Amino acid sequence: MVTRINIGPVHPSTHGVLRLVADIDGDTVVNLEPHIGFLHRGVEKLVETRMYMQNPPYMEKLDYVAPMSYDEAYVATVEKAMGVEVKERAQWVRTILLELQRIASHLLWLGTMANDVGQFFTVFMWTFTDRDRILRLLEEASGARMFYVNMRIGGLIRDLPPGFDERAREVLSYIEKKMKKYEDFLEKDPLFTERMKGVGVLSRERAIALGVTGPVLRASGINYDVRKDNPYYVYDKLGFQTQVRSDGDCFARYKVRMLEMTESIRLVRAALDKIPEGDALGMPVKLILPSAKNRMVTLSRELPRGECLMYMVADSQRPYRLSIRSPTFINLAALKEMSRGCKTADIFAISGSLDLIMGDVDR
Amino acid sequence: MVPILSLASSYLNLTGTAATIVDTLVYAIAVSVLIIAFDYIFGWLERKTIAKIQRRHGPTYAGKYGLLQNMADFVKLLAKEHVAPKRADKLLFLSTIPTMLALTIFLVFLIPLAPTLIETNVGLGLLVVFVLLSFMPLIIFANGFGSGNKFAAISAQRSVVMLLSYEVPLIFVIAAVGALGGSYSLAGLVGAQNPWWFVVLMPIGFVVFFIAMLAEVERPPFDIREADNELIAGWLTDVSAPYYTLALFLDYSRMLLGSLLIAILFFGGWSGPLLPPFVWLLLKAFVISFFIMIIRATMVRMRIDRLLRFGWALLLPLSLINLILTYLVFIR
Amino acid sequence: MKIERNEITQKISAMKAQGYSYLIKITAVDYEKYIEIVYMLRNMEQNKDETLEVDVDPSDAWIPTVIDQFDAADWYERELFEMFGVQVKGRHVERLLLEKWDGKPAPLRKNFVWNGPYETGS
Repeated sequence: MVTRINIGPVHPSTHGVLRLVADIDGDTVVNLEPHIGFLHRGVEKLVETRMYMQNPPYMEKLDYVAPMSYDEAYVATVEKAMGVEVKERAQWVRTILLELQRIASHLLWLGTMANDVGQFFTVFMWTFTDRDRILRLLEEASGARMFYVNMRIGGLIRDLPPGFDERAREVLSYIEKKMKKYEDFLEKDPLFTERMKGVGVLSRERAIALGVTGPVLRASGINYDVRKDNPYYVYDKLGFQTQVRSDGDCFARYKVRMLEMTESIRLVRAALDKIPEGDALGMPVKLILPSAKNRMVTLSRELPRGECLMYMVADSQRPYRLSIRSPTFINLAALKEMSRGCKTADIFAISGSLDLIMGDVDR
Repeated sequence: MVPILSLASSYLNLTGTAATIVDTLVYAIAVSVLIIAFDYIFGWLERKTIAKIQRRHGPTYAGKYGLLQNMADFVKLLAKEHVAPKRADKLLFLSTIPTMLALTIFLVFLIPLAPTLIETNVGLGLLVVFVLLSFMPLIIFANGFGSGNKFAAISAQRSVVMLLSYEVPLIFVIAAVGALGGSYSLAGLVGAQNPWWFVVLMPIGFVVFFIAMLAEVERPPFDIREADNELIAGWLTDVSAPYYTLALFLDYSRMLLGSLLIAILFFGGWSGPLLPPFVWLLLKAFVISFFIMIIRATMVRMRIDRLLRFGWALLLPLSLINLILTYLVFIR
Repeated sequence: MKIERNEITQKISAMKAQGYSYLIKITAVDYEKYIEIVYMLRNMEQNKDETLEVDVDPSDAWIPTVIDQFDAADWYERELFEMFGVQVKGRHVERLLLEKWDGKPAPLRKNFVWNGPYETGS
């Protein structure tokens, strides 16, 4: 007999306001329908009524776990529309900040992922504490702990503070040490690997057909990363390596993100080594009179959750239309297929491995 | 009988059956107080220990070291409104949790806490305890179905599946313990563990028993029934304030019961030097509970279908091997 | 690349056969005189992106579905319907994805009235 159960929108494991309607036969999921839209704030409409540089705060609230990435993606779109070059040092600083943000975001994901498979908050608390160290670094760089809004046209609101280099290295080696501990802690637990391996398998062909992005795509064996295939800023100078797994299950997604964190640590270190001196300040918000040169701008960025594609039709003062291709929206669309035939408990393992942020899904 | 427990009957100058009844009542009250004290201390200790493991502080505000935090929670829960869902079967929904708590206290009552504290030395105590203990999942099943909530219903089904998976190995281990001790009374079994504890004589049996006991008292990684991130709170999803308080007490009482049984069957019960026997038994139970607590902070929850496989494909053969080995080595 | 509405299915199939097997996004822009539907496709092997643009009349806004070619089009087409009021023909949708109203007036169209009945809730 098929029972329909309603999971969410208020449920411990749905990371926000996701509602899943699951048809369950015994313990097997027959069908699963994600219901979204609880956090739909109409950002795409909202930005049409604001001047260019009034919008970054709105963009940051899309993905409240990795706000800097969205901030940067939007500002870069505006820069591209206006034909402004980013200053040399600012490119390096942005790369450093973006990768730090990626580590912070993945650390939060690791904690919630462990929670979703039934860890009693231990890894969650650990990674939260560690994430806070990175947030402190970002706070030093931007002045705010969570919503930074520190990107400006052509650069940043301020340069890195003195002594940032040493403190960043210190935090990175700390995180690196802790990462090994977490890997040991989780992967040596047979129950954890059992909950992850072979669960929610997405084959290479289906991954492409369903259009998933980011770590989910790379876990299915497709070597696509915007940072490598369409490198922006200084990624091509840092010897960036993509992390690919071919299994396509939850464990592969977990592993890809773990390796990405290690890779990000390496990237930040390399960037700190090579960063040139110079000016990183962008144009003040109030002084610019944007006159978009390019009417139509397409820009993709590799956010922590996957590829974000900004499609902007520029106007003289404000975006005429800004279409955001949010990575988790399309990843969530794949949840239905991935969870078909799995066990009830696996729904949460799979949705956890997708790293959903409902603000990003609903926009 | 300890003199202090028969003070009441001697004060009232009672003899015969009346004295026994009064003594039993006094003992029952003493055991209940013991259980509640244990629940309270463990509720606090668990919060603190898990907080330490998770690099937090745990409760610090209410009382010294947050000792009064659980009291504050308790008062808060009692002050809240009790709501029974409309769809719930009122009788099943409201009677099950008190019944379970009463059953748990009764089971602790059956357990000898010291050679002088054997109030009810049932000849087949071991069997009685485990027969009553295996009623628990069925009562949970009744509660889950009675509450009229789908999560609770899933939890109820899982409860029965869990019962199927660990009960059989548990019975085989108990058979081995009984055969090795030459007795089915708990006091007799404690006496039989001299000089060697059963944990040394049959380590395989201990491992199986410990795992099955974790499942029996619903501690992680086998808290599949109330898997809080899958089923919200499982069979407790619709249970509201006062009953939820009882459920929390029930949780720790069952942990005490489980660790007492492990201590008695495998760690020589109250035997130990210097300290009084009663203290030894509680100390052993405390250490075992502490271990169970640390498991909670570190393990990932098992999936229900996996537990079934685990029970039948691993625990059952192990318990059979244990039974055969025990027979071949010690009894024949 | 600008194409006509009646050749969407055929063109998309042709693109897919050429290796553009990854659908990045289906979106739209309301230019008031016409609505431009944008299909973004990617060729994973050659790392090339291609954009197909289709102009539709706002008063008669519909497009044929491409869900047969791309499974990823499912939610994008539903979003398109809710946000732009563009009917997607040839597929069945049983419920709205993001919104709780019938999608009229479509919120991302330029003639959407702000502070109207839908915002104040009256």
